[in-house]
Amino acid sequence: MKKTIYIFSDGELHRKDNTLCFEKEKEKRYIPIEDTGEIMAFGEININKRLLEFLSQKEILLHYFNHYGYYMGTFYPREHLNSGFMILKQAEHYMDQTLRLKIAIEYIRGGGKNIRQVLKYYQGRGRYVGDKLEAIEKLLLDIDQQQDIPSLMAVEGNIRSWYYKGFDDIICDTNFVFEERSRRPPKNFLNTLISFGNSIMYSICLSEIYKTHLDPRIGYLHATNFRRFSLNLDVSEIFKPILIDRTIFSLLARKMITAKDFDRDANGVLLKEKGKKCFIHALEEKLKTTINHRDLGRPVSYRRLIRLELYKLEKHLMGEKTYTPFIARW
Amino acid sequence: MFVILVYDVNQKRVAKVLKRCRQYLTWVQNSVLEGEISDVNLKKLKMELQKIINKEEDSVIFYTMRTTNYSSRELIGLQKNEEGNII
Repeated sequence: MKKTIYIFSDGELHRKDNTLCFEKEKEKRYIPIEDTGEIMAFGEININKRLLEFLSQKEILLHYFNHYGYYMGTFYPREHLNSGFMILKQAEHYMDQTLRLKIAIEYIRGGGKNIRQVLKYYQGRGRYVGDKLEAIEKLLLDIDQQQDIPSLMAVEGNIRSWYYKGFDDIICDTNFVFEERSRRPPKNFLNTLISFGNSIMYSICLSEIYKTHLDPRIGYLHATNFRRFSLNLDVSEIFKPILIDRTIFSLLARKMITAKDFDRDANGVLLKEKGKKCFIHALEEKLKTTINHRDLGRPVSYRRLIRLELYKLEKHLMGEKTYTPFIARW
Repeated sequence: MFVILVYDVNQKRVAKVLKRCRQYLTWVQNSVLEGEISDVNLKKLKMELQKIINKEEDSVIFYTMRTTNYSSRELIGLQKNEEGNII
């Protein structure tokens, strides 16, 4: 599987000898281009058009994050899997309210059930999350009855607020209390971690969408607008609890990220570079782990699972097989 | 698949071979590269190297393994190249 390159250092990334070369003062580091799937740039890197051309040719996405680690944008090369048919199908399912709702419901169901699974795991380990689990269980039954997207979003919001209430019981660390979800900028340590993880999750999903015929601009749960990609936000909904939140829990339980890894700024709380690297390291490990896929009958990595999810959506749009979200069983 | 590539080629062609290999694998030491590679890319790399090298004088060896699960890697002394995908 092609690798993701994370660049934290400042320097120049350029094309050299038909491969990538990252140059920081006096040090050169060659990156095998054929083994690179995407690049995430956190540091201040200089690039030129020659490099962008090269990345386009090799179909590599370049995601860039600003000084605070917020997702800023993506260099999205020319579509190499063009399919007018798929775009029309995607649009058709977006324009028709009932068709759109059908897909949106599946995303919420997938996300909700995975949330339940995460809580169940911690219940099994003796954490007191029973009441939250019960409330979520009830809300899950409501999903099917929703008649429009806003009310569906409301149910999702309720599930999430119950879920987040369980965070304190799971983490049991006074440094990492949840309080409330705050974003842009996050107000406490835990929110900072969640935001950082989510923005990486969104860009990973975008990279996977690029490898399919789907157009990331047409999402179903999240409205299509003039500003940003939305299909990746939809797909992330399913994987956020099992990939990001679980990574956060295990990092905190093992004290791999502590209060020392954060900086308090006038604008909120920031994760320091060491913390970011630690987080990414753990997430990469997670994405690489394989699980046995019941339908395919062979081991599949979490990363591949995201792509399979998109293939299922393609099949649904083409009317071959109805979409059912991935639900973790453990 | 994981590959360890070692080469011993005439000085005239060293640079060419190294440049070509660096597109696919990570340089670890003089004349040694390693890394994850797909079946197709390995074939491609072999073909490309065959065009560069002189079969009479040069030799390139590929050690391939399906995974690194049953192998261990130990380094004594100087690390010549930083590892990992976080730069």
